[in-house]
Amino acid sequence: MSTRIFRLIASAALTLAAVVLIPTRGLAQAVPGLPETVNKASGPAPRTADGKPDFSGLWQRPYVPDMTKTTKDQQGTAELPFTEAGLKAWKAYDAANGDYTGACLPFGLMRSMNSPDPIQIMQNPHYVALLYEQNTWFKVIPIDKPHRDIVPTWFGDSVGHWEGDTLVVDTVNFNGRTRLDTIGHPHSDALHVIERFTRTDAGHIAYEVTIDDPKIFTKPWTNKRTFTLRPDWEIMEYSCEENNKDLYEGHLKQPPH
Amino acid sequence: MRVKQAVLVAGIGLLAATLPLVAHHSFAAEFDSTKAVTLQGVVTKLDWMNPHIWIYLDTKDDSGTVAHWQCEGGPPNALTRQGWSKDSLKISDQVTIEGFRSKDGTNTCNARSVKLPSGKSVFAGSAEDGGPSKKAPTQ
Repeated sequence: MSTRIFRLIASAALTLAAVVLIPTRGLAQAVPGLPETVNKASGPAPRTADGKPDFSGLWQRPYVPDMTKTTKDQQGTAELPFTEAGLKAWKAYDAANGDYTGACLPFGLMRSMNSPDPIQIMQNPHYVALLYEQNTWFKVIPIDKPHRDIVPTWFGDSVGHWEGDTLVVDTVNFNGRTRLDTIGHPHSDALHVIERFTRTDAGHIAYEVTIDDPKIFTKPWTNKRTFTLRPDWEIMEYSCEENNKDLYEGHLKQPPH
Repeated sequence: MRVKQAVLVAGIGLLAATLPLVAHHSFAAEFDSTKAVTLQGVVTKLDWMNPHIWIYLDTKDDSGTVAHWQCEGGPPNALTRQGWSKDSLKISDQVTIEGFRSKDGTNTCNARSVKLPSGKSVFAGSAEDGGPSKKAPTQ
């Protein structure tokens, strides 16, 4: 079959697939309370009253189960610069011995950012809040504030600042109990995550994350993505615990403590 | 009506295009990519709940022995956005499920495709959970 004919058939198949798969539910709503001037997918990035880019809205994101891979809307780092201890931790990992997310424990920052479920962003001059649909979790990011001296947590302690039109979020103080991605790349309690959010136009956020963990990696490495505004979606409840048969019936192992 | 259960401990390359989205946990934490299973049976129950939907079906082998199976699908939120609902599959529907068995050997599977007798796929999505997708499982 010639390439041209193949392309025609592929194109027809894609069109048919699009028609068949047009969703009929979950699209009728829009993000409640968000004005159309902000919740629109075309034109320049909207701005808040104080002149900052307004990230408000519900954002669809690429699913990143393996941060070394490059996929649609996501550019990974193929070769991770493991330290000796990091490589040992990575080689020793087997999800069959217990994946903490299977127990509905908090995904933590990176696995929440890597999840395929959308996030809603809310902001005012003092805070930016990320509402993760994945397991209905959230992160609050104070702007221009120092890190707090608190007990280490699953999501770490985040603070933000503006560099021009880019929101830079710096997170430390992790408890070291999470993994970076579904496939299980490791990190330690020395993890330091720097995220850069830039609303390049009304419909998109350029997202770049830098993973810095001197115990596990010899140097920082990055992952870049594009988030897409979904003005036609609203965030939905996601209770991980309500019917987690995998764990309740023993098909999954409890994660090691 | 002939209902046949076939458990295949072999790779099958037919699983493209209609894959449930699983993001809750790693595929490898629970399922065995070398134990492909094809189940034909009657739906007895559907759990439309987080973190995954579950389809319950009864299969019958050639001697008439009934087996109860349960198969995990995608998260209901993602399936809802793709246009599916709890009414997309009804009790007593005949289905063919292609998937992979759980490592613990119970009649539990991860469904990679669910089809009605008409050939229509139900709960189609995309899977990137580290489990088998378009490629046949490695032997």
